[in-house]
Amino acid sequence: MILLFGTVPDKNLPLTYGQVRQEGDNLVADGRRFSRTQGTGAMISAALAITNYFKIESPYVLVAGDIGDGKGTRDLYKYLTDHIVEMKPEVLTMHYSLPIMALLKKLCDTIKGCEKRPFMIADAGAMYAAKGAGLAGEFDIFTPDPSEIAFLADPQATHPAYISHHLFDCDADKIPGQITDAFKNKSAAKLLLVKGKTDYVAVNGQIVATIIEPNVPTLEPIGGTGDTITGLVSGLVFAGLDPKDAAIFACRTNRMAGVLAQPTPATKVKEIIDRFPEVAKNNYCAWSGICYNG
Amino acid sequence: MENVKPDRIKFTGDGIIIFHDVAGAMKGERTIRASDHEVKLVAPPPELRMGCDLALEFNLVEQAGIERLFKEKDVPFVRFLPLSKNAPQMCDIVKVTDFGKWVMVKAGNMKISFEKDSGIIVNISGGGCPDIPYLNAEMVDKALTLAPHPNELGYTLCATMLERAYEEALVIFSGGSRS
Repeated sequence: MILLFGTVPDKNLPLTYGQVRQEGDNLVADGRRFSRTQGTGAMISAALAITNYFKIESPYVLVAGDIGDGKGTRDLYKYLTDHIVEMKPEVLTMHYSLPIMALLKKLCDTIKGCEKRPFMIADAGAMYAAKGAGLAGEFDIFTPDPSEIAFLADPQATHPAYISHHLFDCDADKIPGQITDAFKNKSAAKLLLVKGKTDYVAVNGQIVATIIEPNVPTLEPIGGTGDTITGLVSGLVFAGLDPKDAAIFACRTNRMAGVLAQPTPATKVKEIIDRFPEVAKNNYCAWSGICYNG
Repeated sequence: MENVKPDRIKFTGDGIIIFHDVAGAMKGERTIRASDHEVKLVAPPPELRMGCDLALEFNLVEQAGIERLFKEKDVPFVRFLPLSKNAPQMCDIVKVTDFGKWVMVKAGNMKISFEKDSGIIVNISGGGCPDIPYLNAEMVDKALTLAPHPNELGYTLCATMLERAYEEALVIFSGGSRS
């Protein structure tokens, strides 16, 4: 099973665990509904689009309402740490959450007792916690954006808001060097997928792919278009793709969906997500050479 | 569902709050603990001593929420700082991208986009802390001048950076110069 972990912006949503499905603009798990918009909801929706395309088991989600005070985050970590050994996820993606390093450390210690270690993906607050706690090496994939790769490259930074100014220039030319530094500082997962104007895929410090086309600049302002890449790569790894190929497919899928949606800065991320099935149907056979009757 | 209780002995924060005096630091500690944040009374590092001898170590990411809590509970403080030696300072670089009918303002890791004519916020992007999707839900599709301020609802450094972007967006919308 693939397990997707993260907070959702509804303080009334209690800790919820179950297999997820989409109903209109909502996601539903264990009888509870939550939004599929920006953040964890967008990530889950993207992963669900992939599992639906490949006709494989839908993701399980572990979500809780949290509006920033960390209450939902603490519930999530407590539940996952107590149950991960019996849950046995093959893929675990950790997303929006308050970066509480001690809780992540306890979870990672517990995971060492799993019969088989899950394939670990982190983005957003979970990635911040992993870097801050010195646990980046426990993860298989991180999906930072340009400001977050600068954060990973800065050995002193514990949050992307506090990074050295020379790293914050967001000069695209600096990203390859920042990838090298992040690996050197042991602040990177085994694979880094850096999402931006140019997407970079780096494995163990070496850039193995760059994706620049199609270029859709209006994707940048749309909240959630980075979250969807995290969901896409999660779903693709669970579907059996090699992590590097999964990362490349995820970037291409997001960009192609952008072309189909013709977004403006006012477009909402659900309009991009709704294009994923069409992108998969039209391209995955050609991209992979493995064709499904989608 | 049972909450995970903070481990007060092992807690190590990455930020420090400097106070005017010891009484302020102790009031700050009580206030923070009562709101379920993790915190530890510490001696300030020598380079940060400002005449007092007690400070609070806290999770830097929770700065915005704790600052607001101190204002609500009337806890005076001097400043919040990252704890590590030679720590970088908070990003103050703001970048503006013109998309024709829309403008995107970026501060640190946060972006806010609005329609030039109406001032309607159309998207919020970036960040990874739980208050950002919440702020997105509360602010998007509202006019800049009517939307809640990120520092009124947010708790984290992501919200602090969004506040900076939001303030710059307000300046631009009201005809001020762009950074």
